[in-house]
Amino acid sequence: MPEDLHVNDPWAPLEIDKDDREKIWSQSSSFAKDVWYRFTRKPTSLLGLFLLVVLVLFCVLGPSFVPHSYEVQNLNFVNIPPTFNVYNVEGRYIYLTPNLKLIEVAEDGTLLAPLARINDDGMKKRTTFDMGGGAELVLNYKAKPPQLEDSERNAITDMRQVRNKTYPLGTDNLGRDMLIRLMMGMRISLLIALIAAAVNLVIGILYGGVSGYIGGTLDTVMMRVVDIVSTIPLTLYVILIQVLMGGSSGILSIVIALGTVYWVNMARVVRGEILSLKEQEFVHAARTLGSGTWRILTTHLIPNAMGPIIVTVTMLIPNAIFIEAFMSFIGLGVMPPMASLGTMCNDALSTLRSSPYQLFLPALAICLTMIAFNFVGDGLRDALDPKLRK
Amino acid sequence: MTKYIVKRLLFMVLALWVITTITFFMMHAIPGGPFTSDRQLPAAVEAALNAKYKLDQPLYVQYFDYLKGLMRLDLGPSFKYEGVSVNEFIATGFPISASLGGLTIVFCLIIAIPLGITAALKNGKWQDMLTMFIATIGVTIPSFVIASLLMYVFSLKLGWLPTFGLNSWKGYILPVIAMGGYALAYLARLMRSSLLEVMGQDYIRTARAKGLSEFKVVVRHALRNALIPLITVLGPTIAALLTGSFVIEKIFAVPGLGQHFVSSISNRDYTTIMGVTIFYAAILIAMTFIVDIFYCLIDPRIKLD
Repeated sequence: MPEDLHVNDPWAPLEIDKDDREKIWSQSSSFAKDVWYRFTRKPTSLLGLFLLVVLVLFCVLGPSFVPHSYEVQNLNFVNIPPTFNVYNVEGRYIYLTPNLKLIEVAEDGTLLAPLARINDDGMKKRTTFDMGGGAELVLNYKAKPPQLEDSERNAITDMRQVRNKTYPLGTDNLGRDMLIRLMMGMRISLLIALIAAAVNLVIGILYGGVSGYIGGTLDTVMMRVVDIVSTIPLTLYVILIQVLMGGSSGILSIVIALGTVYWVNMARVVRGEILSLKEQEFVHAARTLGSGTWRILTTHLIPNAMGPIIVTVTMLIPNAIFIEAFMSFIGLGVMPPMASLGTMCNDALSTLRSSPYQLFLPALAICLTMIAFNFVGDGLRDALDPKLRK
Repeated sequence: MTKYIVKRLLFMVLALWVITTITFFMMHAIPGGPFTSDRQLPAAVEAALNAKYKLDQPLYVQYFDYLKGLMRLDLGPSFKYEGVSVNEFIATGFPISASLGGLTIVFCLIIAIPLGITAALKNGKWQDMLTMFIATIGVTIPSFVIASLLMYVFSLKLGWLPTFGLNSWKGYILPVIAMGGYALAYLARLMRSSLLEVMGQDYIRTARAKGLSEFKVVVRHALRNALIPLITVLGPTIAALLTGSFVIEKIFAVPGLGQHFVSSISNRDYTTIMGVTIFYAAILIAMTFIVDIFYCLIDPRIKLD
């Protein structure tokens, strides 16, 4: 009927359907749905989430696709960059390393073997290398830049750029694969992130919850402890624990330091939330119905404080990752041969002039990790608590 | 006010005592003495060394000796450098670190405040976007990465600035930028958000309604109130700069206290570690205290305690 209604009489009133009026047309939305909606509205938070997923996949699944080990050194192939120039010597490809060694490379960029040195004439500044089958190749390092010459002293100029196929991201100053070391380093960063989150979510919430809900003298004492703990920066704690546990403890000392003191900020946040929540009616109702302290805390108070808790966690995670990288950088964190983004940056400093990619790669990895966590954190903060948006 | 200050001072002493006690017993809980970790010394030499540094006495005697020394501001001798006291280390290293740190704070404030103000006044325009972009970059890149990249570009590639030392004014540029990057970004962000909030207040509308010029509205009415949150975070910022100096001093080979602290850790120089930790803690506690007092003086609305 509705189709021909306007044909018959455009001014006739519509029939009123009582059930129609009561019907809820839009889908009901839950809190989680609202949060997800607000989260996905912001492009940076989606970018952060995407980055985070890619990084997790990269470092969790990545190592199983890489044929090298993070700790095996190959001193024949030290400081080989991701892309390099090779000389074409009669159909064979030779790479001249910055420290004046010759490495034979296949046409597609696979590293084959270093050429053996026959003799080194220090006076004339010429080194002769064995090409096999009686052929020789001379490296003239009197010239600047050094050049390759064949046995008739003709300079070889035929060069082309190839990508390093054996080590796609190059090797470090001990001939270890950069790619797998990056993956292992990021694993450490993410492990630290997980531990920081766990410490905050377990100890921080319980400590703050108990302190806020029980109150009185206990609260005063617990908060004074928090005050004292938070007067020293975390870095100093990590250093003290590192010294106490001995040099070989590595990452364990960072984990212990995080576990013992990293929950204080969270405890403060939770306590503040609980203090305002515990005077509300639903808590009185729960108590009247006979719920115990533990039950009120875990089923009524803490779930209601979840918004600020998640916001605080996402703010604290990048900081923990940063502290691990920082400690490893100054040589007090992860111990060799294990790779951490911080130790990789530090190792790169000594060869910065000749092999800057050794710094760029871990630096990029740290920045991406921090950006991912910061973006997700900002997005979650805005999504969970739109009032806080700045 | 006086009551509050006395209370805070007492708490500072308590906090310092707790930190000293924890550090002391942690350092003495390390298995083996400070001289056993090196190559094997003859027993008699080790006993003599232990006697010299009073390590042969019971722990509680050493502890009270240390506390007594601390009251006279004496942090004891270094275990690794013969005849040098921890006080001397601090006296030579700290002025260098403090000058670097002080310059960094001034640099951060000089850049961050105008940046934040511009961003807030041009809210949503390209100036704002640019500031927020810089701020995001600054917060996400660790200082040692900034430091290494700056060093690569300006010292190694361009050759404009020295790679190490503080011998001329040029030497200060890179360390200050690298150390201040995070604080700068953070302060600019805070300045922006706090000024935005203040600009939405009723008294700003009143000031405009009175016919004041926009310049006067911003400088006289908005800025004064918007600077308060900045002062609150100055305490933690100073703390961050202080610990950040460990890595910056290491990269740029600045002979400051941070560099010294890090090397005393690798040397296992326990008295130096202990003394410098306590010194750092004392500085931080004092800084937070001063900032808090200052904060209350500027903003009469804030009630003490």
